[in-house]
Amino acid sequence: MKIIVAIKQVPERDAQVRIDAAGKWIEEADLHYAMNEPDAYALEEALQQKEKHGGEVVVISAGPERVGSTIREALAKGADRAIQIVCDDLGKRDALGVARLLAAAIKTESPDLVLTGLQSEDLGLGQTGVIVAELLGLPHATLILQVEKTETGLKVKRELEEGWFQTIELPAPAVLTIQSGGNKLRYATLMGIKRAKTKEVRQLSAAELGVDGAPVVTLDEITLPKKQKSTQMLGGSAKEAAAALVEKLKFEVRVL
Amino acid sequence: MILTLPTLAEPQHFHVAEKLLFIVLAAASGYGFWRRFGPILNRILSSKKDADFRLFPIGRRLWDFFWQVMCQAKVIRQRPLPGLAHAFVFWAFCAFALVTLNHCAAGLGLGFLDPTGWFGRFYTYLAGVFALACAAGILGLFIRRFLVRPKWLGEQLSWESGLIALLIFALMATYLAAFLVPDTGVAVRELWWAHTLVLLAFLPLIPHTKHLHLVLSPATIFLSRGGFSRIPPLSGDEDFGLVAGTDLTQLVSLQAYSCVECGRCTEHCPANNTGKILNPKEIILGLRSYLNALGPRSDEPLLGKYNSQEAVFECTTCGACEFQCPVGIEHLPILVGLRRGAVNTGAWEDQHGAKLFLALERGSNALGLPAQERDKFIEKNALPIFDGTQEYCLWLGCMGGYDPKGREIIVSFVKVMNYLGTSYGVLRKEKCTGDPVRRLGNDLLFEQLASANLEALAQNKVKKIVSICPHCVRTIQEDWKTYGTPPEVEHHSEFLARFADKLPRATNSASFVTGHDFSRAENADKTAGALAPVPPRNEKIVFHDPCYLGRYRNVYDEPRQVAALAGELVEAPRNRERSFCCGAGGGLAFLGEESGERVSHVRAAELAATGAGVVAAACPFCNTMFRDALAAQGEGAPQLLDIAQLAARGLPQENDI
Amino acid sequence: MSVFLVLEQSGGKIKRASWEAAAAALRLGAAQDVTAVVIGAQTEALAAEAATKQFGKVVRLEHALLEHYTADGFSLALEQLIQAETPEYVVFPHTYQVRDYAPALACRMGRVLIGDVIGIGDGPLFMRQLLQGRLNGGYRPCGAGPCFVSVQAGAFRAELPAAGDGQTPVTTFAPNIDAAQIRTRAGEPFRNSAQTVDLGSAQLIVSVGRGIREAENIRLVEDLAGALGAELAASRPICDNGWLPMERQVGSSGQTVSPKLYLAVGISGAIQHLVGMKGSQCIVAINKDPDAPIFEVADYGIAGDLFEVVPALTEAVKAAKG
Repeated sequence: MKIIVAIKQVPERDAQVRIDAAGKWIEEADLHYAMNEPDAYALEEALQQKEKHGGEVVVISAGPERVGSTIREALAKGADRAIQIVCDDLGKRDALGVARLLAAAIKTESPDLVLTGLQSEDLGLGQTGVIVAELLGLPHATLILQVEKTETGLKVKRELEEGWFQTIELPAPAVLTIQSGGNKLRYATLMGIKRAKTKEVRQLSAAELGVDGAPVVTLDEITLPKKQKSTQMLGGSAKEAAAALVEKLKFEVRVL
Repeated sequence: MILTLPTLAEPQHFHVAEKLLFIVLAAASGYGFWRRFGPILNRILSSKKDADFRLFPIGRRLWDFFWQVMCQAKVIRQRPLPGLAHAFVFWAFCAFALVTLNHCAAGLGLGFLDPTGWFGRFYTYLAGVFALACAAGILGLFIRRFLVRPKWLGEQLSWESGLIALLIFALMATYLAAFLVPDTGVAVRELWWAHTLVLLAFLPLIPHTKHLHLVLSPATIFLSRGGFSRIPPLSGDEDFGLVAGTDLTQLVSLQAYSCVECGRCTEHCPANNTGKILNPKEIILGLRSYLNALGPRSDEPLLGKYNSQEAVFECTTCGACEFQCPVGIEHLPILVGLRRGAVNTGAWEDQHGAKLFLALERGSNALGLPAQERDKFIEKNALPIFDGTQEYCLWLGCMGGYDPKGREIIVSFVKVMNYLGTSYGVLRKEKCTGDPVRRLGNDLLFEQLASANLEALAQNKVKKIVSICPHCVRTIQEDWKTYGTPPEVEHHSEFLARFADKLPRATNSASFVTGHDFSRAENADKTAGALAPVPPRNEKIVFHDPCYLGRYRNVYDEPRQVAALAGELVEAPRNRERSFCCGAGGGLAFLGEESGERVSHVRAAELAATGAGVVAAACPFCNTMFRDALAAQGEGAPQLLDIAQLAARGLPQENDI
Repeated sequence: MSVFLVLEQSGGKIKRASWEAAAAALRLGAAQDVTAVVIGAQTEALAAEAATKQFGKVVRLEHALLEHYTADGFSLALEQLIQAETPEYVVFPHTYQVRDYAPALACRMGRVLIGDVIGIGDGPLFMRQLLQGRLNGGYRPCGAGPCFVSVQAGAFRAELPAAGDGQTPVTTFAPNIDAAQIRTRAGEPFRNSAQTVDLGSAQLIVSVGRGIREAENIRLVEDLAGALGAELAASRPICDNGWLPMERQVGSSGQTVSPKLYLAVGISGAIQHLVGMKGSQCIVAINKDPDAPIFEVADYGIAGDLFEVVPALTEAVKAAKG
């Protein structure tokens, strides 16, 4: 089974967030980057499928040169080879633009399965996987926790709201977006990193793929949210505090 | 009437046939010895070379040889009575060197020691005294093994040990008996042959039993890595730790064959003492069995038939085993090496371990908390930021930066430093020193953490670090050396001890707290917040020696000096070098539930049983482990405080009552 | 300025999140410009429910193959409707279902969905959260074609659509869908077995710690959990004592949870517990010690006697839920 895993490199979660001079994105100078965690789950699923059914796991990632380190991490964890789409203006493309890049590269591989994380930790759009499926003309399913290969294609477990789940059957090849927590992630090992040095990383450019970048949605401005997290102590008598808390649960937390 | 001194009788004349017989038997004995020893020596020598072995500086090696081998220091100190008995046996063997040589020479008619001459008489008497001591010693050891039967020597009786004991006894007896027979006649000849036969029977038995240590352990001690828990750096691209036989180095193989099965390591192992399957002795013997069965060129995993992965990951790296070993076996590099083999190859599948590694792959601390939490703590307590101008960099560490109790220790220590006028600052960003990752054997992650930290420290121009955590101190000072030059680092107990005379004692005197006299019980609860009861000042304090401060760093007195500022010290039964681990080390604090009894509970009970009102800790991990354990003891359990908190007690309080 | 509002149903009734999306739609156009769309095989009742509000009109997008949700079915059907009616905006609630098909639908029409919107500014400028809530971003659509927007649940909660005068017209649109075009087949929704406690996927958790003092008192917290519809969890000492089963333990040696709401009752906040629940979206703590470390990580805290606060809270929750 040939599985493609689309991975995104995102700023580290601990990163100090400061808006850049242009006001369009964050200061990238001091940032450290890491693999998008939901994509790590997608990679883990792909590796487990390979362990069960054999085949090949190919990771694909688009972005500037620094994306190479995340690709190497994926190779260290067990992916067989990688495709790096070198692209310095990823931030200026919208979800459709990014998906077009990925789809163009994936098409050349004719995979049996395409996996990607549910959404990214920086933009959190959660759309790229679905759009890639549409562009490739493949069926898709989102929020997937478990994947099973069947005679006719795939059987997957999808998460629904409020603790419900659903099984979906669909033919392969297909695109699945993977929800975090379905598997236990594996850690990077010294042996994996050493082996990764010899694995193939094919580099492509947006121009080579023949994809233009004119967006239909633009990110026009970045602002800091007004509310900063601090503990609100609710005082008064037990009844008063309880009432105040219920107000918060209803209107701020929205669980009532 | 002249009292004639007894003289060692020596047969004067041997028939040629007898000499030939002796030669043949000696050759057979020698062959028997070599047949078994040869392959063992071969296995040791054909093991991988230790890439980091340096013969020089040789001073340390010579000293260890003198102290541990010749003076039998470790043997005696840790188990006095049996140790002394063994020492006598050993010294007798040394003393007998000349005697035995002469004995064999005499068999060929070439005896050189004249038992009537002054030197000969002196020497034979000396040997005789040792023989008596040895005989007494071996008798005592025999009784201990076969009649008293302590647990550490194993469930099954060791017949080989009994045989060896008999042979040694026979050697001494036949020697001593030779003082009581005349020079001529049958008796002396019979004794000579008896002694010879015992000797020639003994020789080939040596490599077949644990008495191989007679030959090997002097070399083992001389060639040891030195220091304590010296984990060797990986050498080359294909080195992932102790994965298979091919990874066993000459030193490890030598150590595996040197084990005398005394069980001192197991006796002091906290895991073994609380019902876990880890048995340090069996780890070493497991390697020996592996080498005997498969040799040092085998690709079979070391963690398989002869040693289990489960056992190896129960180790807290407390070092009691390595500390106790009288023949120079260094257990910790072996245990960590086995863990490396499992982790660096991904063979270790543990959900808590993976969680720890993933938290450090993506984040800055072992607890998986966002770095902003540490920023908030620094801001809330207005800690000065290190900017290169201060003398000390106060290293918060993961516990000091993120754990509520660890933070309390920092706050107290900061109070003391402010009182002393120390110039210090905290780094804006810290990454975990990598201690748990290092002890668990993840070299990839450890290299990343160590290198990143070293770079950050160099950039920030840090010259001196003071830390509240012995694990951080050890990792920074020793383990980071593989990747760069760490700055000076010391533990806060060493820092505080230096200024102990400047710190006020927390006494019954009222002058340190506004106006109230503590000796009056009715005022006692008016003096502090309702949730911080003020305990009476003359209580007893028991200090728990952390493994990474005590055995690892040899720091025992400084924390006691600091704790003594706040009360009277009492000692736990197992203290100082014999301190019993709290259970957190070796990365185990992050690995979830343990099997058997909880190590921390066993130790907490021991500490509480001293009757002390306060348990003094000097490590935030010990602090965390004992917190739950002491709370489980209910009312009347001793208070748990770090030595920094004890030191801060005596300071003038700023807060209003 | 025609605005489509796609309503989502659950169990034959329109979901609350859809009404909130209506509030967003009404920001983009006047009530009479808003067309509410209901999708399914039998949509009469749904349409009737929608028609009770003040909208321009209600469209029943009906086809046998739309009986159960499928990405293919809904995308195809809506695409045809949108091509027929050419609205300027298509507004959805940001639900799991919408995330599954709306991006594909937008792509088919050469557009991109602006998803999980929390506010609408002038322009319009659509606000969404970035970097897990640490930044807000303003998005603007450009180019020709409808603007697809999905709205975060609760973002527009206060402004639910007004009741209509009962005269809202209802029309039906029958799309052309072939069975071969529906590539996925979904089974019946199910929950994980009732035996196993799955704290990992619980949205609401009430957790109890040593402050509860005795086993018998735990029922106070159980009542609160029941009232909230939350799962019950505990810190380690409670499980060690056997007062609650080990699988309910949250912490470094138990489960790691990240629910929408984590209510810690009588828990001090030791690090071993914190690492298990620090990822919760909203943390509420009730503890009698105002200096308890749990308050450092809590969003809301009540420093009081849990034996008084918890029953009061249970009552208040029951009242609020009606």
